[in-house]
Amino acid sequence: MSAATPLAAPGVAVRVRARRPAVVIGSLGGLCILTAFATLGVGAVRVLEPHAVEALFGHGTADQIRTIRTYELPRVLVAFLVGSALAVSGGVIQGVTRNPLAAPDVIGVVKGAALGTVFLLLAYPFAAVSYLPVAAFAGGVGAMVIVYLVAYRHGGTTPVRLALVGIAVSAFCESIIRYVMIDQAKGIGHALVWLTGSLAAVDMRSFYEILPWIGVLLPLLAYYAHRLDVLGLGDDMARGLGLPVERTRRTALLLAVLLASACVAVAGSILFIGLIAPHMARRLVGSRHAVLLPTAALLGTLMLLVADAIGRGADPPIELPAGMVTAVIGAPYFVYLLTRSL
Amino acid sequence: MTTVQLPGASAASAALARRLRAVATLGGLVALAAGGFVWSVSIGPEHIGLWTIVKGTFAQGHDTKQLIVHLIRLPRALLAVLAGGTLAVSGAVMQSLTRNPLGAPDVLGVTSGAAVTVAIASTIVPSLGGISTIFLSFAGASVASALVFGIARFGRGGLSPVRLALAGVTISLLLYALMQGILIAFTQNAELFFFWLVGGVTYAQWHDIHLAFPWMAAGLALAMLLARRLNVLALGDDVARGLGQNVSRTRLLSVVCVVLLAGAAVGVAGPVAFLALVVPNIVRRLVGHNHFVVLPACMVAGAALLLYADVASRYLNPHVETPAGVVVAPIGATVFVYLARREKLAG
Repeated sequence: MSAATPLAAPGVAVRVRARRPAVVIGSLGGLCILTAFATLGVGAVRVLEPHAVEALFGHGTADQIRTIRTYELPRVLVAFLVGSALAVSGGVIQGVTRNPLAAPDVIGVVKGAALGTVFLLLAYPFAAVSYLPVAAFAGGVGAMVIVYLVAYRHGGTTPVRLALVGIAVSAFCESIIRYVMIDQAKGIGHALVWLTGSLAAVDMRSFYEILPWIGVLLPLLAYYAHRLDVLGLGDDMARGLGLPVERTRRTALLLAVLLASACVAVAGSILFIGLIAPHMARRLVGSRHAVLLPTAALLGTLMLLVADAIGRGADPPIELPAGMVTAVIGAPYFVYLLTRSL
Repeated sequence: MTTVQLPGASAASAALARRLRAVATLGGLVALAAGGFVWSVSIGPEHIGLWTIVKGTFAQGHDTKQLIVHLIRLPRALLAVLAGGTLAVSGAVMQSLTRNPLGAPDVLGVTSGAAVTVAIASTIVPSLGGISTIFLSFAGASVASALVFGIARFGRGGLSPVRLALAGVTISLLLYALMQGILIAFTQNAELFFFWLVGGVTYAQWHDIHLAFPWMAAGLALAMLLARRLNVLALGDDVARGLGQNVSRTRLLSVVCVVLLAGAAVGVAGPVAFLALVVPNIVRRLVGHNHFVVLPACMVAGAALLLYADVASRYLNPHVETPAGVVVAPIGATVFVYLARREKLAG
């Protein structure tokens, strides 16, 4: 990569922008909450807007309260968790690998995690749901290790090679998943929705399922934010500043992969949020991870909230997967990134 | 550079050896494909011997086994030959056109364009079928090709081979996401399309062959007519121009050829992932770079690959019909990784 990597912003720029991140993060947070409330009533059973929020707080007909509290609220809550987790995971992976094309979906983690959960469900159809994240972890980490080993040549990888190998490994995982799904023909439509990434099957239980994982992993990565900045200065400089470079990189990468895999366990493969949200955040607040990661998290949440609302509201009562909406927005952006010299 | 003075006789003998080797390789591939063909026709719930196959092929008796051969097994094997062969040739032409070993129609999104158009149109208008499938497939393939070559012009000096491949894969991803959404929204039996989208010849009928064969034949003929032009184009645009070739016309005809071949194959057999990528890369390694040899060899090798994949898919789980694409995809993904690792491609 050239010296003009967008990930290492000069310190001066950071100081000039010192006040802006607070404004950006504040307004994005407000926007997220606003969107969450505004899209609460969208869905198969339409609850018009003032009533939706009222029902959330226990006012209104029993039907309205049940619709909002059991069907819509969990989705919004999970969207917060999954959206921010994917975005942070992408931001960390991009920072650690100094590769703007890297993201959990691009380096094969997402499809690997999906394959892991599919295997678990095949082997133990009645496995407790709480084992799903563990299977996803195994699949995600396994896929990433394979991608790295294959893409590693002559003492390193290039962004494009890593992405290409990641996509090929994803295709490999995908072909196995498809075989499994055709072979076990029952419930294939449902599996299809899950694969594209959807919050349709999410309930309060799935929220509590991933809350502990994300609740632990996100703060851990926040703790690493400063070290990631140092890492962004280049290996030699980081080593000179006393950072154990290899260990930091490995730990941060592992945490990020675990974070993305946890999302797959409940929401399937939602593509492109992990790739795009950090890029957008970098444009807004610069590349200091302590502000970049929260901004990316909020942007990811916002994207997922909107995508899920579009999926719910476009053609009720049919649920379009949120992952489809993110792919439609994300793929052109990825192609745009490719056409610029990175 | 040191020039090696070859006496005329030994130069001629080297050319002869090369030609012999090409003929031998072609012969080997044909034998391989023929073996796959017979194997494909003979296995299934009813095992059928060689003599019955011959009788069922040439005479339509009333014997059950002969009917099975004639109505079920033969069209399946023939369609595997046709679809595998045309996909492979379309891959070879497109790779030469883009001068990119990764530049196959399935990597660059052309087959997904065709498949997605067919799937979406026949979901929304279920009465569509027959010849309109082929035309929809052509339309989708053309639009996707235009998109890919449009993107290829972006950036300074065009995209590097690997970047173009990455862009193509992303476009396929986008198209599939769109299509999955539409399938989920409009149809109750998404699984049928899902099966078709993996690509295979499981439910082949004579009807499919009659539909696709004229277009495939036209595409293959066009490919062979282009062989000399593609040989010259391989020397670089400037050299080709200097030798009097109309490079733009070669490009245009090649794209037409790819659309005809890939579109017709996808229309009847679905988008068999990675076949068009893998076969030409292997074939070039075996027979060199002369398109007069490469294209026929691709035709035969592609047929062989799809035949054997179809046979293997029947052994995977004898109780369930599995599309052959499931077998081709892991092989293809592995070759894709191997190509992607090579240093000179990465930009």
